Amino acid sequence: MNRSYYWLVLGLSIPAFLWLVPTIWMVSLSFQPNEVLARSTSTTAFGLIPLPFTADNYAALFAFGQTPWWFLNSLIVALGMTFGVLAVSTTAGYVLARMEFPFKRTITVICLIGLMVPEQAVFIPLYTMFADLGWHNSYRALILPRMAVPIGVFLMLQFFRAIPKDIEEAARLDGVGWLKIFWYVMLPLARPAMMTLAILTFLYAWNDYLWPLVSAQQQEYFTITLGLASIQSNFAQSEGLGRVMASGVIASLPVVILFLIFQRYVVQAMTVGGSKG
Amino acid sequence: MKHVLFTAIAAATMATGASAQEISLARFFGACEDAGTDTTVTTGEACIIQSIINAADAELDGITITTLPTDWGNYYDQLKAAYAGGTPPDIHVMHRHRVPEFAGLGALREISGDLEAAGIDPADWSPAALDAVSYEGGIYGVPMDVHANLWHVNMEIMEAAGLVEDGRPILPTSPEELLEHAQMVREATGQDYLAADFAQFPLGVRLVLALIWQQGSNVFDEDGTATIDTEEARNAIAAVTQLFDAGLANPQLNYADSQQAFLNGEAAILVNGTWVVDLYTAEAEQEGTGLNSYYVADFPTIFETGATWADSHIWAIPASLEGEEYQAALRVLAFINDHNIDWARTGHIAIRESVITSDAYASLPHRSEYAGTAELAQDMPSSDRYGAIQDVLNRELQAIWLTGKPVADALADAEIDVQDLLDR
Amino acid sequence: MRDRSRSRMSQTQAAAILLAPFLITYTLFLIYPFFRGVWISLHDWNLLAVAFNPDATEFVGFRNYERVMWGRNIEWGLFAAPFWQITGLIGLALSVILRRVDRLSRFNAIALGLASLLLVFLPGFHPGEGGRWYDRRFWPTVGNTLVFVGLAVPGVTISALVLAAAMNRETRAMGALRTLFFLSQVLSVTVVTLIWQIMFSPRQGLIANITETFGGTPINWLTDQQFAMAAIVIATIWWSLGIAMILFLAGLQDISQDIYEAAALDNARGVRAFWYVTLPNLKRTITLVVILQIILHFQVFGQSHLMTQGGPNDTTQVLVRYIYQTGFRDSELGRASAMAVFLFVIMGTFSVIQFIVGREKS
Repeated sequence: MNRSYYWLVLGLSIPAFLWLVPTIWMVSLSFQPNEVLARSTSTTAFGLIPLPFTADNYAALFAFGQTPWWFLNSLIVALGMTFGVLAVSTTAGYVLARMEFPFKRTITVICLIGLMVPEQAVFIPLYTMFADLGWHNSYRALILPRMAVPIGVFLMLQFFRAIPKDIEEAARLDGVGWLKIFWYVMLPLARPAMMTLAILTFLYAWNDYLWPLVSAQQQEYFTITLGLASIQSNFAQSEGLGRVMASGVIASLPVVILFLIFQRYVVQAMTVGGSKG
Repeated sequence: MKHVLFTAIAAATMATGASAQEISLARFFGACEDAGTDTTVTTGEACIIQSIINAADAELDGITITTLPTDWGNYYDQLKAAYAGGTPPDIHVMHRHRVPEFAGLGALREISGDLEAAGIDPADWSPAALDAVSYEGGIYGVPMDVHANLWHVNMEIMEAAGLVEDGRPILPTSPEELLEHAQMVREATGQDYLAADFAQFPLGVRLVLALIWQQGSNVFDEDGTATIDTEEARNAIAAVTQLFDAGLANPQLNYADSQQAFLNGEAAILVNGTWVVDLYTAEAEQEGTGLNSYYVADFPTIFETGATWADSHIWAIPASLEGEEYQAALRVLAFINDHNIDWARTGHIAIRESVITSDAYASLPHRSEYAGTAELAQDMPSSDRYGAIQDVLNRELQAIWLTGKPVADALADAEIDVQDLLDR
Repeated sequence: MRDRSRSRMSQTQAAAILLAPFLITYTLFLIYPFFRGVWISLHDWNLLAVAFNPDATEFVGFRNYERVMWGRNIEWGLFAAPFWQITGLIGLALSVILRRVDRLSRFNAIALGLASLLLVFLPGFHPGEGGRWYDRRFWPTVGNTLVFVGLAVPGVTISALVLAAAMNRETRAMGALRTLFFLSQVLSVTVVTLIWQIMFSPRQGLIANITETFGGTPINWLTDQQFAMAAIVIATIWWSLGIAMILFLAGLQDISQDIYEAAALDNARGVRAFWYVTLPNLKRTITLVVILQIILHFQVFGQSHLMTQGGPNDTTQVLVRYIYQTGFRDSELGRASAMAVFLFVIMGTFSVIQFIVGREKS
């Protein structure tokens, strides 16, 4: 480690700090009294330090708020979608990468053509379809349409192709069936790629806004994204800036914590997925 | 009150035997999570309506109400999505101007025959209110208010500019006077004369509409012909634009910012609706704000005849609701109808004659100052494209004020677009 | 022999079992809706009317497409939009010349040529005397979306690349810095718009507060047509830099240290090494990131919908928001679907390009 390295770190911490400022500000605002914020948002150090301090916003949030409930919904939807995508993508990816069967090429091409269809191009027909079925306002409406995304199959296909064949063939010679090979041999090997896919899907599900917006009108099925959107467009009439910001913090905190715990894995997983993709 | 109570008991007895009815209710007005059940102490639209709903939930036997969260921006989109998906809320609030669109498709339930039995007396409704819920001879909802555009006045600034007489603000009676007053305010205090949301929600549209109506014109007629590219529209726009050109008002403020400017004492006048009167009254009573002396004025007549933009909030029930659920929904509407005086506390104009003539109503803060507004109330002709037409006007007016589009081009474009919408 | 054919049979069966879950969801929730969308786009289809009367649709052929994309008396002229068309012509000439002197691969020459041709061709359409577009907002909306993509993609790519190159070391400090830059990526779009809406507020915003302290006049970011688009682009870059940065870091780790050492012997260090060694070796990752970003940002919705509501004067109105509004505010599912099909065509084009690029390189 030489001197230029320390200069680099120092030089990078300035943009890093700036990068962090909006988040710090949100957290700081959430700890200030609404009456103060109504008049000024820059009481101490441009509002970056929460003085005067209060935790009332959080107390109110937990006493009356729907934020925890929305949060739970988001978690259910995101986890459901993640497991769903993992299940259908690993199986399909494996089959297309390693097995021989009639019409394999055609099926592969059909699956990959789907990569071209953006979700925004199909949300209207999906909406009418779910309306006809009477499926709106349910978890399945929030989860199912997103399981069909072929990007997962594509990722897994690429990954399975790169695994050497001999492991599998040894098992085949011992007379192990295909399903068993998939389950006991290939799946454990695929863990890093599955992690990548899981993280990408989870983030995607957590952030999805348009589909929940048209599909969920009942509060039982509001996700956090939707709930927060409904609070913020009522700025002028809402209970106050501090409360709104506190909701934002509560909505983000668990994902941030999850990320901080798993971050090494996240970055590694992305690295694997990235260079393979 | 006694017979209300009696009806409530009667209705409750009728519903005995049945398990509690779950009523889902959709509304805008914003969230108020700790509203409580005391309808007489809350402040602001969100908290007053929520306290009424909470009270209904607590007091009506056998009925529990869930309030669905919806925001302003997406309210009608989501309501439509809910109807189209076959899961509409059991009760929902809506604007008068949306009735043709929803009732025309058969989405709303006609309720005229069931009102009396539910304890709602339509004969008590003001003519404007009855009109608001009527569509092709039927009644499709229970009205809650008439709301209109007002001029909210900071009397301290007006006083400093010499624009107060007998405790009342002197308001302009012509476009020339408008500019003159604005200059007086600027010279005396250095502040802006007028603030409003010209950059986000269609509040600027409502201001210009009023000025067009004041000249006896309109943006389209009942036959579906757009009449926007007119002398009257040009006059109306010029009256507002002259303030921007002279730097006496800022067209770039959105709703929250224009309100903040007024509350901080940076503008003498805020053009906004009846819905904020109680909030601003409360703000003016607090120490350390920029608004210390607050007055509410009728929208002044700047051209020939008085007119201000107005609309109504009404409550409707979907056509698909049947049986006991429908009865339960009606009882909730009756409860809201009974609390009209509480809702009027926001600043809205009450819709029941018995409330309007009551002492309690007359003694609401500032009520006497804008008593003329009910007479001035006006709106665009009804159309099932109302929302889209309003958006066209908002866009083109913003183009004039914010991006310097020539007025003639903007009006011509608006006329074509509105005509397109009317023809569809 | 017998044994083998038996195992082949079971292989097909196993394949069918393993493939079924995906194929079923895929057909039900992507393929079928897609064709249904095309079907809707050929109808006059009112969201609410159809809900109450399923037969309330009317087949109108391609009229929705015409109403959205075409107009009365539309003409084509070479100098309708001189700037873009001349740029296109220059591009066309360049692609021919560079190909002649062999400075450009055939693929790149064709790509550049095609792009230039579109640039000459498309902006040339305009309403003639007494004519007008049937939908005055559609093409400007497409234009806004392109501007958004054109600002956000280079913004994200360049900043992510520079940061990744600077942080390409396995030390604790660098790890912490990476975490910081990646952190905003995990926030949901509504939290991002929540933060930035208030950041940009001319009265309560942090940016305004700081400007005022130094005596400046705060900018009305979200309501000034010069800044509104910039504002949502800034929020977007802040939000979505993380994944691009990680992908670049991954790409950088694939570049062997030997190349840098060899370059160092030629006196190429720091910025020079970045320019002559890092960039050429990262070409593939850069292409991947750029195309992924294009596809992602073309579908922008939340930032525009929540921060500016498409305003002021439609300057931040984007395609997906227009589709949403046409479908759910105006109830015109037919028109909205026609726009969605248009979106699909554009995105499909980029996906094909990505596919070809991926193929050619490997």
